[in-house]
Amino acid sequence: MSIANNQSSDTVQAVKRLRQHTDWFTRIVSASPKLLLLLLMLPVFGGLLGVVLPAFGWAPALSQYDIGLQGFNALWQTPGLNKMLTLSFTTGLFSTLLAFCISLLLLAAFYNSVWLERIQQILSPILVIPHAAAAIAIGFLIAPSGMLSRLVTPWFSGWQLAPEGFFPHDVYGISIILGLTLKELPFILLMALGALAQPEFGKKMRQQHQAALNLGYAPMTAFFKVVLPSLYPLLRLPILAVLAYASSSVEMPMILGPNTPPTLAVVILQWFHDVDLNLRIQASSGALLQLVVTATLLALWLVGEKVVKFFLCATLTNGKRAYGDGYWLMFSKVLTIVVIGFIALALLGLLLWSVAGFWRFPQAWPDSLTLLHWQTALTQMSEPLVNSLIIGISTTGIAITLTLLCLEFEQLKGKTLSQFTSIIIYIPLLVPSIAFLFGLVWIQQLFTVKVSFIDGYVSYFHTIFAHLVFVLPYVFLSLTSSYRLLDKRFAIVAASLGAKPSKVFFKVKLPQLFAPILIASALGLAISFGQYLPTLLASGGRVSTITTEAITLANGASRRTSAVYAFMQMLLPLIGFIVAWGLPKYIFKSAKR
Amino acid sequence: MLSSLQIKKLQLFRQNELLLSLNETINGGDILTIMGPSGSGKSSFLNWITGALPQGFHAEGEVWLNNNEITDKPAHLRQVGVLYQDPLLFSHLTVAGNIAFAMPNGNKKQRLEIISDALEQLGLKDLGDRHPDNLSGGQQARVALLRVLLSQPKALLLDEPFSKLDQQLRADTRQLVFKQIRQHQLPVIMVTHDRSDAEAAGGKIITLAQQSNTHVR
Repeated sequence: MSIANNQSSDTVQAVKRLRQHTDWFTRIVSASPKLLLLLLMLPVFGGLLGVVLPAFGWAPALSQYDIGLQGFNALWQTPGLNKMLTLSFTTGLFSTLLAFCISLLLLAAFYNSVWLERIQQILSPILVIPHAAAAIAIGFLIAPSGMLSRLVTPWFSGWQLAPEGFFPHDVYGISIILGLTLKELPFILLMALGALAQPEFGKKMRQQHQAALNLGYAPMTAFFKVVLPSLYPLLRLPILAVLAYASSSVEMPMILGPNTPPTLAVVILQWFHDVDLNLRIQASSGALLQLVVTATLLALWLVGEKVVKFFLCATLTNGKRAYGDGYWLMFSKVLTIVVIGFIALALLGLLLWSVAGFWRFPQAWPDSLTLLHWQTALTQMSEPLVNSLIIGISTTGIAITLTLLCLEFEQLKGKTLSQFTSIIIYIPLLVPSIAFLFGLVWIQQLFTVKVSFIDGYVSYFHTIFAHLVFVLPYVFLSLTSSYRLLDKRFAIVAASLGAKPSKVFFKVKLPQLFAPILIASALGLAISFGQYLPTLLASGGRVSTITTEAITLANGASRRTSAVYAFMQMLLPLIGFIVAWGLPKYIFKSAKR
Repeated sequence: MLSSLQIKKLQLFRQNELLLSLNETINGGDILTIMGPSGSGKSSFLNWITGALPQGFHAEGEVWLNNNEITDKPAHLRQVGVLYQDPLLFSHLTVAGNIAFAMPNGNKKQRLEIISDALEQLGLKDLGDRHPDNLSGGQQARVALLRVLLSQPKALLLDEPFSKLDQQLRADTRQLVFKQIRQHQLPVIMVTHDRSDAEAAGGKIITLAQQSNTHVR
C-alpha cells in the first residue's frame, strides 16, 4: 500500500514540476539573479562610463563636446596635486597595513585563548559605528583641547591653556591614518575570526597549531608559521576592500584630514560641488585618477604579498622555534590595552561632550551636565532621522528580498550562482565610490526627466538606488552561508507533503532563517545609515540624513551638537543590532511557554 | 643515561568526576598502552601530558621527563612529540617542508640531506616536493612519523595513530613506528581501542573502564 502511495505522490510531484514552469514564484526567483547583477553593474559600470566621458571632455549637460585632454591638463596644473596624491596614497596604505598588522598580533597573541572572544565582544560594536561618527569621536580625543591633552594637563604637560594644535588636520595625514586604522582594525579582526569560526577550517587550524606547539614552537611563532599561511587567502578580499575604501573615502579625511591640500577624493568632491560648473570636467578626470591611485595600491598590495612570500618562504621551514615571543606577547598585550583604551576614551569623550555644560580646558570632567544639547538637537533632528529611517528600511528591505530570492534560485536550480555573479557582488567594495557615483548621478538625471510626475520622491528613489549598491554586497555576504547551510531535507519533506515552492520558501525556509535575516537586516540598516557620499550625491543634497548632518556639523558648529549627532549615528545601528540579537531569543522564549 | 617518562600520582577529573588515576614509569624503548572506550579520558590524559588539557578538566599529579619535572611547563617547551590519528600535515608546506619545519634550526644543506635520507629510508624517496594532501593515507602517516621523530622529542605519545588506516597498512605502519621507537629509545604512551595495536606494542597494557574504575592487567 505504501508503494502505491509513493507512486501516486510521485505522479503528483511530476505534475507539480510541470506546473512550476508557469508558477509566478518560480518565475520571480529565476529572474532575481539577473536583477541583482543589473542593480550592481548598472550603477558601477554605468557610473564609471558617466565619469569617463566628461573626463575626456564630452559633457552634454555642460554643453561641452570637445573630446580631448583639457580635463587632465587642468588636473595636472592643480597646485599641490602631488601632495594630494601622496596623502591619499600614504593614508590608504599605512592605515590598512597598520590595521592588518595589529589584527595579526592580536590573533597570534590570543589565539585559542578566552581573551580573543572577549576582545571580539569589545570590538564588534565598533564595526557598526559609521566612519563619520568614529572620526568625530577621535577628532575630539586628539584635539589640542581634547580628552588626551586634558588628562595630562597640567600635572604632566604644564600647559595653562590649550596648546597650539598639530592634531587633527595634520599635514601628514597621521590623524586620518589613526582614524582609519582604529575603524578598520575590528573589521579585519572579525573577518579573520569569522574564517576561523568555520567548523572544518577552524578545527584544522587549531589542531595544526597544537601540532606545532608539540613540535616545540612558541605560540605566536606557531600562529605565524602555521595558521597565517592558510588563513591569509581568506582575508585577501576583505583587506583589498579595506585598502580600496581607505584610499578613496571622504568621511575620515574631511573630518580629520588637512585642508591644504586635502586628499584627492576630498578635492574631487569639492570640485564637483563648485559653483564653477567647468570644474566638473576636471573633477571627472580627477575621479579617473582616483581610480588609478586605488588600482595602483591594490596592485602594490598584491605584489607586496608575492615579495613577502618569496622572502619568507624559507623562514617557514628553517626550524626556528621562537622569535622573541615573550617580548612580542607583552607588546601585543600592551597594544590591545592601548587600542581599547583609546576607543573607550574617544567614546567617553563623545558622550561627555554631548551632555557637557560649561567645560573649562584642563579639566577632564565637565563642570555641569545637561540634556539641553540633546533636546535642541532632537527637535531639529526629526527630518534627517525620518529620512535615515525611510532610506535605510527601504534599501535593506529590497536588499534582503533580492538576496533571499537569489539564494532560493540557487536551491531551486541545485547549483551555486555563477563565478561571474560572485565577483560582481564584490565590485562595489573594490571600486572607489567617488569614481563612479558622479557618473551615476549624471545617468540618474538623464532618466529623471521621464518620470518627473513623482517629482517629490525622485531624490529618495535615487538615494535608495545608490545605497543599494553598497548595502547589497554586505547583506548578500551575511546571508549566504546561513542559507546554504539550511538542511535541504526540510524543503524536500515539505514538497513531498504537497507544498508549492512558494509555500516551502515562505513557510519552511524563511522561519528557519529568522535570526540570520534579522542580523543581515541590522547590518544593511547600519551600512545605509552610515552612507555619506551616496546620500549627498544621489539626492543632489536635497535629502539630509543623520550622517550628512553630522559631517556638515563636524566642521564648524559647536562640539556639543556635533557630539549629539555622532552619538545618534552610533545609536541607530546599535539599536538595530540589539533588536536583531534579542528578538529571536524573546520570541523563542515565549514560544516555549 | 636511560631516558624515562614518569607519571606520578596522577588523578584526572572531568568536572569533579574522577576519570583515571595512574602512577607509572616508562623507560626508553618501552610502550605503555592505555585502552578504553571513548569518554574514558584516554585522550584527555595525553592532552594533560602535552600541556593542553581542555577546559572542564583538571588534574593532580606530576609528569617527569628524564628526571625533570615538566608538569607546569608550556606546551611548546615540553619536548614531548605526539602522533594523532590524523597526520595533521601542514597543507601550506611540501612534504620536505613539513619535516624541515619540525627539525631544529641549523645548516640548510645538512638539514636537506637528513630529510632526503630519512624519506628514502621510509620508502618515500622523491616525494619531498609533493604536496602532503596528494599522498596516500599510508604515506601521510609515514611523513607524520618522520616529522615527529626528526623534531628530536624526549618522549612520544601515540593517540590512536593507526585507526584511520586499513588492515594491512595498519600492521605495516605499526611495525615501522614501533621499530623506530626502539631505535630512538623513546619512552612511549599509546592510546588505542584496538586490541591488535596493544598486543603488537608488547608492553604494559592498562584498560580503563567507562567510569573511574581502573583495571590493571
